[in-house]
Amino acid sequence: MVILMIVMLSRDATAVLLSCSVTQRTMLDLQQFAPEDMNKQDSSDAVFIQLGCMVRDMSLDVRLEAFEALGKIGLVSEDILLQTLSKKVLGINKDKAYKPIEGLDISVSAVAGAYIHGLEDEFSEVRMSACYSLRTLTVFSLRFACEALNLMMDMLNDDSTVIRLQALDTIHHMATSDHLKVEKIHIHRFLSVLVDSSSVIRSMTRKILKLAKLPQFELFKLCIDGLLGNLEIYPQDEADVLSALFHFGRNHGKFTVHIIEEVAPEMEPASGGKLSFDSTRVAAFLVLAISAPLSHEKDVSAIPPRIFSYAVTWLGRISYGLSDIMNQEKLLAYLSECSRSSTISLADFKINEALLTVEGDASIPLCSKVDSPVSMPFWKDSGGISDYHHQEFLSLGKSAAHAEYELGEHSELRKYVNLIFKKVKDSWSLVELGCTTEACKGIRACKEEVASFTTESPGSFGAVAFTLQYLQVIEMLAKVWGHLRATKMLNPNGVGKLELLFAKLDRRLREISNRFIGLSKGEELQILDLVLVACLLRLSKVEICCCNAAMKLLSSTVAHVEYLHKEGSIEPSNFVTEVKKSLHDADSSSSSSSCQPLLFKKLLDSFSLQQFVLYGTPRSVHAELAVPGNDSENPLPFIPGIPASIPLAITLHNVLTESRLWVRISMGEESTQFVFLDLNLIRNKKRSINVVREFTFVAPFYRTPKAVSFTVRASLGLECFRENVDRVKVFGGPKCELTYLCPEKEIFLCKSTECKSKSAFT
Amino acid sequence: MAIDCLVLGAGQEVGKSCMVVSINGKRIMFDCGMHMGYTDSRRYPDFSLISKTGDFDNALTCVIVTHFHLDHIGALPYFTEVCGYKGPIYMTYPTKALAPLMLEDYRKNMDRRGEDEQFTSDHIAECMKKVIPVDLKQTVQVDKDLQIRAYYAGHVIGAAMFYAKVGDAAMVYTGDYNMTPDRHLGAAQIDRLQLDLLITESTYATTIRDSRYGREREFLKAVHNCVAAGGKVLIPTFALGRAQELCILLEDYWERMNLKVPIYFSAGLTIQANMYYKMLINWTSQKIKETYATHNAFDFKNVRNFDRSLINAPGPCVLFATPGMIVGGFSLEVFMQWAPSENNLVTLPGYCVAGTIGHKLMSGKPTKIDLDKDTQINVRCQIHQLSFSPHTDAKGIMDLVKFLSPKHAILVHGEKPKMATLKERIQSELGIQCYCPANNETVTIPSTHYVKADASGTFIRSCLNPNFKFSTHSSTDKSYLDSNKSKAVSRLSVSDDRATEGILVVEKGKKAKVIHQDEILHMLGEKKHEIQFAYCIPMPMARTEDLSSTSHMLCGFDKSTLISRLSMILSDELSEGNILDLGEELQVESFRVSVCSSDNCPHRLSSSLQNGSESVFFCCNWSVADEKLAWKIISIMKNSTL
Repeated sequence: MVILMIVMLSRDATAVLLSCSVTQRTMLDLQQFAPEDMNKQDSSDAVFIQLGCMVRDMSLDVRLEAFEALGKIGLVSEDILLQTLSKKVLGINKDKAYKPIEGLDISVSAVAGAYIHGLEDEFSEVRMSACYSLRTLTVFSLRFACEALNLMMDMLNDDSTVIRLQALDTIHHMATSDHLKVEKIHIHRFLSVLVDSSSVIRSMTRKILKLAKLPQFELFKLCIDGLLGNLEIYPQDEADVLSALFHFGRNHGKFTVHIIEEVAPEMEPASGGKLSFDSTRVAAFLVLAISAPLSHEKDVSAIPPRIFSYAVTWLGRISYGLSDIMNQEKLLAYLSECSRSSTISLADFKINEALLTVEGDASIPLCSKVDSPVSMPFWKDSGGISDYHHQEFLSLGKSAAHAEYELGEHSELRKYVNLIFKKVKDSWSLVELGCTTEACKGIRACKEEVASFTTESPGSFGAVAFTLQYLQVIEMLAKVWGHLRATKMLNPNGVGKLELLFAKLDRRLREISNRFIGLSKGEELQILDLVLVACLLRLSKVEICCCNAAMKLLSSTVAHVEYLHKEGSIEPSNFVTEVKKSLHDADSSSSSSSCQPLLFKKLLDSFSLQQFVLYGTPRSVHAELAVPGNDSENPLPFIPGIPASIPLAITLHNVLTESRLWVRISMGEESTQFVFLDLNLIRNKKRSINVVREFTFVAPFYRTPKAVSFTVRASLGLECFRENVDRVKVFGGPKCELTYLCPEKEIFLCKSTECKSKSAFT
Repeated sequence: MAIDCLVLGAGQEVGKSCMVVSINGKRIMFDCGMHMGYTDSRRYPDFSLISKTGDFDNALTCVIVTHFHLDHIGALPYFTEVCGYKGPIYMTYPTKALAPLMLEDYRKNMDRRGEDEQFTSDHIAECMKKVIPVDLKQTVQVDKDLQIRAYYAGHVIGAAMFYAKVGDAAMVYTGDYNMTPDRHLGAAQIDRLQLDLLITESTYATTIRDSRYGREREFLKAVHNCVAAGGKVLIPTFALGRAQELCILLEDYWERMNLKVPIYFSAGLTIQANMYYKMLINWTSQKIKETYATHNAFDFKNVRNFDRSLINAPGPCVLFATPGMIVGGFSLEVFMQWAPSENNLVTLPGYCVAGTIGHKLMSGKPTKIDLDKDTQINVRCQIHQLSFSPHTDAKGIMDLVKFLSPKHAILVHGEKPKMATLKERIQSELGIQCYCPANNETVTIPSTHYVKADASGTFIRSCLNPNFKFSTHSSTDKSYLDSNKSKAVSRLSVSDDRATEGILVVEKGKKAKVIHQDEILHMLGEKKHEIQFAYCIPMPMARTEDLSSTSHMLCGFDKSTLISRLSMILSDELSEGNILDLGEELQVESFRVSVCSSDNCPHRLSSSLQNGSESVFFCCNWSVADEKLAWKIISIMKNSTL
């Protein structure tokens, strides 16, 4: 019926506008209207073709809407997609026709060249829309993506910068969905964009290059030349070019080694013993060279170690470029490590070990996670910082400590962040379609982007942290969703994995709902929606469901949601109403088993991810924990069997006075102890600011073992009121689940006599 | 009434476009072009076919010129000044502005070649005075019946498609058009119109072109490679159209790639043309219109005037030089200087007239070109052939025809075999009658004439009566979101097909009127007549008790007994109809039967008189509506006995 409607309306240009917007909405309900003998695929194909006919309409608005609608149809046959890229009717489509309704014939030839026309439309809006809708369609077919790439490469010649940028974005999208197959004919066109006068275009191009994986050395070399050309013409791009070279080199370990061999003479010091390190070209090659050991390929040890020491002389410049990957200290450590050993095996070993965590998503090796593994042990003694992340926290904490102002009304960051949220929403539709891996990739790319946002400006730290947290929640949710909704049977291995995923998801959700303050009611509600979904997901699976706890959480969350609705007089979403309704139903019929996985599955259907819009300025609740002067060389003294005191220097950010804080001290796996931190009793040494507090707290550790020395791990947790703990109560411990506000801190203790003797010894 | 299309030029060929269309008594001449391939009388359309006496003013209502190309306007000064047409001429503003340039340029070239002068500068000026300029989408009332309207056609600046309407008959003449935009012009744009006839060009009747980006890329690559290697690029081009497009393209590329190589325009016409383009911004593409406020795209930043002294200046450069196809003039002069170096590049348009140097360069790769007996040019430079074209391709033509869906289509301005292919496609794929007439042929197609009819009150009331039909339709739908369980839903669907019957009455001297069937008698002042069929049929009697008492029978059985017997027989055999026993007669629908007592009933067939004594006659009559039923009953009666 929808089809018929479009057909009828398409006779009248103005009405088509209507029909398009109608189509978008009805697209999902299509199968319900389609005749029984027509399957989903056919009906969406038919709609696609009908819309395809409209892209040649004389009215600008109709064309715009048509392309927008085309991009929204998920399920389209490859043949039809390919036909949209060729004005000639393809052989395979010659006699193909759909008869969705009696008396209506839709020929595939009608969509011939739809995208060709769209991309060379007179109006930039239409070209833009066509570019954008291609972006979503390339996910579905590799062949289509390859063909579309041809067109996109042509679009790089468009006279409008916005469209060139959109074309690059589409290519970037192909790259993230692994549908980018670059061929030689493309590469020239593509690289010519590197010398474009617009810096945005250039940086987008480099962003794509960072993801590229080329099959031939020849192409690799062309790309390197292109980047060098870019560097030559636009010296202001240096930082980003170096970063691109680093990523690019890391993706192509073997080629990098090869090319370094070729240019090695250039990098050698000139005669007379003077280093001719004055050209940026050399810097570029150095960056390329030092990226090689980080590649996933094995035989990359051919980079001469001295090159790494050359690179050290460029440390400032290189680390400036690689600031999104590692900081200067780490780079120095890495370089010195690599240059010290005549064979690279040590570094190789460490780094590869370190990279294990990211190996899973090798096609996007850009995750900022890469950083943390490179926390080489020999730093520990230098700064007393156990973890790079932690260090970052510290430094960021300091910047935040100045004062956290509100995020400006029209702040750039807010715009970016909201764009990210929009992307997340788009990716969620992929999750619903069952393409979890693709969606996760997209989300990870977003994470990486968020990680690159600066947190310099006031108020931005909280926003960025919040966005990252949100992305993590969505990623976990997507994973769980994909796990539960896609596979029909749950194999026993899966249950274990699923439990792990759930545990992670719960932790993330706890963090996002407790570690941020200053959210508006609407924002809070959206997060609660996610909590609800998580609950429902858990409930929908009998195998892993621990029904009572989940139900409890569900009802308490619903109650809270209701409260917020009343408070802010916000209209509850469809999803929430559904959940509420079925909860009441379940209550009234409590005699029957309360576990009704089918019911919960049904409820999940009505969930659709709303786009999160950040209006307020979320402030991140976090803390720093330190034991001044304590490390493995200088342990704290203790007497076995007698409680030991541990002086903790604590800095709290944005922690409200009424919140309940616990210090968790654990020794190994077996013994854990909680110490309550009464904020009311703590008197600030400095003038009390509500935002940041600094104080020293002496925590007792009761169960000291009969040992010469031992270590404990301490961290600071915030009690989450809404989530009751059902697990075995630790005596005197928190009643609710904890959200940890800082990374664990290792504390070294040593028997006091030993201590003395040690100090005497030194 | 009919539309007559007399093809005076561009029928199954390209050149001297000229078409005279008679539409509801008005005669319009579309385009008045010249053929560039001929120098004799075939150069101009045969105007004598319009009027034997040469009285063109009365023979034609108006002349419409679509754009300023010579094959569309070249014969106009001749037609007005030499042949003496004085009626109105319509063309768009840019066409009016640029046409004199083109005509003057052509006249000068003719002069140079020493041909007979067909018209003078004064002729051109005089001719242009008669022109009435029109704007896009402006409806011009030529006289009280004829209105014309111009639509944007792309192709060249100022090109238009023309819509003409006389009474109820309407048509569109496209001229040359382009359905895809280029760097400086937009795509053709037209409203959805009710058309009897569409006359469209068909230059590329079978070609389907790729995206324009590919062509641009090739061109830019060739030019960039050449200047990067220090070579000089010569772009011989005509002053209007292509030169501006290429220049915008290069300008944009130069800007983006930060190139500093100079671009030159050879002085003269091109500069003047650029000035016109700057003023005619409204006729360019969206992009240029949008950026016009900040930067006029025809204000070329990187473009300078060329000086002869620069021909041999060192370093790379790009030069636009007139005329195109290197037919002579400045472009030839430069070509002679630059051709011997393999660093240099010459770009050629997609089409070059045979005999020009351009044509020689295109056909094969000559190393030497003989200019005349004494001069020989060494050609070592690179040649790049442009594939830009301002004409729409086959798909564009199909798209336009499909969009407008006229009742008839005529193809002109193309090559005969290709046009035939396209004609077949239009007829088979779109179901539109299509013609491709040759020159001097006339195509006649029927035109539309609408008659307004009043409707009577009764008729309107009968239209308003709904005509509902109900049907149940059951389907299982699983995706019904609101109902939380999937269940079979049966829907009652209601359809309301309102088909009303009426009678169209056209009386002399009165308006046509649609009336309801009940009113017709009153209107005509007639009585209702009904046709009745009658038949007197004998039915054999079963001999029951007394053989001799047959004569007595009629008296013996009274009529009602006979009727009731018949009724029994019929009710046994007849499945349909409701049999009513009225005592003396039987009635089934309009069929009535009674015992006939008269011996010479007029409805009795003489042949059935035999054995009269043993039969009973029944007299039947029925109206036309129940004829089938009647014959069924009669056959039952015939085959049974009482």
